[in-house]
Amino acid sequence: MKTLLKKTLLGTSIALASLGMQVQAADTIKIAMAGPVSGPVAQYGDMQFIGAQMAIEQINAQGGVNGKQLEGVIYDDACEPKQAVQVANKIVNDGIKFVVGHLCSSSTQPASDIYEDEGILMITAASTSPDITNRGYELIFRTIGLDDRQGPVAGRYIVEQIKPKRVAVIHDKQQYGEGIARAVKATVEEAGISVVMFEGVTAGDKDFSALIAKMQKEDVDFVYYGGYHPELGSILRQSKELGFNAGFMGPEGVGNPDISAIAGEASEGLLVTLPPSFDLDPKNAQLVEAFKAKGQDPSGPFVMPAYTAVELMVQGMKGTEGTDPLDVADYLRNQGPFETPIGTVEYDAKGDLKEFNFVVYTWHADGTKTPAATQEAAN
Amino acid sequence: MTESLLYFTQQVINGLTVGSTYALIAIGYTMVYGIIGMINFAHGEVYMIGTYLSFIVIAGLTMLGLENLPFILLTALIVSMMVAGAYGFTIERVAYRPVRGSKRLIALISAIGMSIFLQNYMRLAQGPRDIAMPGQIQGGWSWTLDGNLLNLSYMQVIIFVVTVISMWSLHLFISRSRMGRACRACAQDQGMTNLLGIDTNQIIAVTFVIGAALAAVAGFLLGLYYGVVNPMIGFIAGLKAFTAAVLGGIGSLPGAMLGGLILGVTESMTAAYFSTEYKDVVAFSLLVLILLFKPTGILGKPEVEKI
Amino acid sequence: MQPSFMPAAIAAGVTFILGASVMGIRLQPAGISLEVTSAPTHVYLGLIAASLFVFILQYFRLTERFSRLLKSSQESKVELPAFLRTQQQQRLWTMLAIGALLLFPVIGSRGWIDLATLTLIYVMLGLGLNIVVGLAGLLDLGYVGFYAVGAYAYALLNTYFGFGFWEALPIAGALAALFGFLLGFPVLRLRGDYLAIVTLGFGEIIRILLNNWTEITGGPNGISQIPKPTLFGLEFNRRAAEDALGTFHEFFGIKYSPEYKVIFLYLLALILVLITVYVIRRLIRMPIGRAWEALREDEIACRSLGLNPTMIKLSAFTLGASFAGFAGAFFAARQGFINPESFTFIESAIILAIVVLGGMGSQLGVILAAVAMTILPELAREFNEYRMLLFGLIMVLMMIWRPQGLLPMKRPHMELKRG
Repeated sequence: MKTLLKKTLLGTSIALASLGMQVQAADTIKIAMAGPVSGPVAQYGDMQFIGAQMAIEQINAQGGVNGKQLEGVIYDDACEPKQAVQVANKIVNDGIKFVVGHLCSSSTQPASDIYEDEGILMITAASTSPDITNRGYELIFRTIGLDDRQGPVAGRYIVEQIKPKRVAVIHDKQQYGEGIARAVKATVEEAGISVVMFEGVTAGDKDFSALIAKMQKEDVDFVYYGGYHPELGSILRQSKELGFNAGFMGPEGVGNPDISAIAGEASEGLLVTLPPSFDLDPKNAQLVEAFKAKGQDPSGPFVMPAYTAVELMVQGMKGTEGTDPLDVADYLRNQGPFETPIGTVEYDAKGDLKEFNFVVYTWHADGTKTPAATQEAAN
Repeated sequence: MTESLLYFTQQVINGLTVGSTYALIAIGYTMVYGIIGMINFAHGEVYMIGTYLSFIVIAGLTMLGLENLPFILLTALIVSMMVAGAYGFTIERVAYRPVRGSKRLIALISAIGMSIFLQNYMRLAQGPRDIAMPGQIQGGWSWTLDGNLLNLSYMQVIIFVVTVISMWSLHLFISRSRMGRACRACAQDQGMTNLLGIDTNQIIAVTFVIGAALAAVAGFLLGLYYGVVNPMIGFIAGLKAFTAAVLGGIGSLPGAMLGGLILGVTESMTAAYFSTEYKDVVAFSLLVLILLFKPTGILGKPEVEKI
Repeated sequence: MQPSFMPAAIAAGVTFILGASVMGIRLQPAGISLEVTSAPTHVYLGLIAASLFVFILQYFRLTERFSRLLKSSQESKVELPAFLRTQQQQRLWTMLAIGALLLFPVIGSRGWIDLATLTLIYVMLGLGLNIVVGLAGLLDLGYVGFYAVGAYAYALLNTYFGFGFWEALPIAGALAALFGFLLGFPVLRLRGDYLAIVTLGFGEIIRILLNNWTEITGGPNGISQIPKPTLFGLEFNRRAAEDALGTFHEFFGIKYSPEYKVIFLYLLALILVLITVYVIRRLIRMPIGRAWEALREDEIACRSLGLNPTMIKLSAFTLGASFAGFAGAFFAARQGFINPESFTFIESAIILAIVVLGGMGSQLGVILAAVAMTILPELAREFNEYRMLLFGLIMVLMMIWRPQGLLPMKRPHMELKRG
């Protein structure tokens, strides 16, 4: 009985080992794309998937990397932390060494623990929480800006261009919104402008009349909102109805045409910090055409960063002439700058982009945007 | 008028508006509860469906090139009330009638299941994202008193008026009409009512249809007021409305109104003098406290007319 | 019973209108205005098919026949299969099952082991809630609150006081139990459906407080870098932390493999579940367990027999909460990162669905239901979209057809032969 058991175990382990070898020996390099396929934020997941998929196809068409073809594998985490851990374990299990993802910061964070541990290179194209790269990990990178860099850009614009007297900073009590709001508050206060209100609202709430009345009472003349478009849209709409005429500003989460549908006229003049529209960059014209030929929309904020994530991995593999994630990570960190669709990128020690610009736009009631006026331009 | 008093007044007005929206949804809860003694957990979802339906009709008619706003709005209201009524009827038929007569717990779990089902059904049918509709009725009155502004928007007034009207007409229906009498009889004793030759099944079905139609009215009005809908709005709105119903004494119509207004003003005061973040905590704590110290609610005395 | 045309036709018509009104027409934002578009043809074909189905169902009164069939099958006794009749056989099979579960990591791949760990967490939650809902008949819609208390207890104790998993585990359970006690004490005299809503409110309050209390709990950012459990002080990391005893692989002189960590977590979860099962099995047979069920069946009878309903309910509520606390602490350790997002009402609903599907009161049923609920979405990812939809549907259908669950609990009982 005992020997039988031993034999079976031995047999299975050999079978498993050979299975593992197969993955290694195959002529493709697998890249995992982890993000929400299902769930409420699936539309953002799509942006990431089409970007990464396009990069993989184009690189394969040019002959692949080091004589090998790339293969993209999609993993669905539904943007739930517990499913993200599961996905990460599956990726380890499938012997994949490169991951583009995850999307939501709260998924990226627990998953990145596992990747770092297992020697898997992860580049997120969408998670903006500073915590992700604050932990001294070697294998975790991103191709998008951080909340605490977007905040100061907005804050400086407020301080230098608007010069308000009494500012209210409102946020939606979520990781993204509150993070940016805190950064804005810090920047504004540093310049000596008083933030008279710092308050959270409940995401999904619809009635903000009490909050607006409070801002009116406090004589607030400028409002920064950290969060997403549905809540800010409602705030703008109700502000107009209640005769509250302050200036408003928000991060890229509010920069969505839907905000004009909610707020109508009230969205005219809203200031929004956005990453530059990479799809309008003339250098990317060819790439944009390729997306359009496939019937895909290249204008989503995470499409080009996801493309860039794959592109960077490939540059790293080419540069190190191998597929060791640690070497590639080293290469990315030390051998820069790299030319990518999101511009020239260089990494700092933490794995963040040394430069990722946010641009301030003015939003219009018809859902379009134009670069915001600065005083230098006016002079 | 001093500034702080004006601020207080403004916040009370805001609270009353929010409160009347809660009351509007709460009528449906309290009516169903009054007649068959069950918590219709899926009521909030019918409100959500009502909002979607009125958006669909308004957007559809606008696309057809109609410009007569009152006509569009009236059509949207009627259509969404009718279809939501059909939803109410079906929900009762499918999920509640088969479990009527078993324990409360079983009916409640069935209702929760229905609520989860409808929420996800809408998510699959219309997508999870927020759908926004441009404002149809905008503007309002504002008075300047000693350099301070006091605002009242048209929608706020409309919501308040419609809530009062629907409550009053429902009250008349229950107290004067033949069907209303049958409803009251049903609330008193279903078995006896049946013996007297009244089809209780039909009465209960009518109750659900009316409750759902009222939820659609709420969905229509709040859809116009806030301009946004997503499949998740029903859950929290239902919970708030339920709190309002319990606060006022579940089963009592004036209680639903009173409970809604108290809840609305309480929330508004919390936001005004404490912090918006704790609005929901205060609302739920109020629910817990009321249930602990006066489970019958403010107006829910046994001798109060039960519908 | 003769087939009836009109009611069936009306039912089919209503089905079509209900479906078409929200599924057939889609709202589509176009720039800043809103447009409607018609759904693709296959949606309409599906709606027509559904209407026809309803028509046939109604015309031949299939639903009534079906439920009658179910009713009669419920009355006939469900016999256990032959190999499970005697106690020895049951014990043998239980041992075999446990043995198979212990050996599972040897053959299972890493992804499956991790999934099994997650399933075991749900088993533990289901078993805990089963005490409250299934045995004592108290509908607790805020169960996730206690789960959150357990998870945050470990995370916070670790962050601020450097507690390890093993020191924090009993505290997490005790703290959750304390919360259960404090919350349960005032509300348990409420009637069943009020209790459900109040617990729902409590669950939400706990989540909102955790979210708002940014200074302590990190608010929406949550708490990260929660360490994994150790084996008698041995860590499963590549390199040991400075104050740790050492690492597992160094101590045993084997090559480091990250697999050990996953396997260890799985085995730990398995042991926790086995303890839970054992404790609850014992409790059910103790006077307190019998009192729970007696109370569920008839509160007035219980009172007249001199039982104190409040104390009995409170004990069920507290014990149930403590299991959620243990599960929470383990969840925090497995995730390494928690934030309030993981503890929403949906989670409570999933756990409730597990208990309802499994058969209220039955341990085996709850275990099987938890396995089904977590493994099914894994086998078919497309199913994930429809998961909550089906959960809702299952809850309704189970209440209609089989409120006692798929595998209702059986008490040893004697029956007098009639006639």
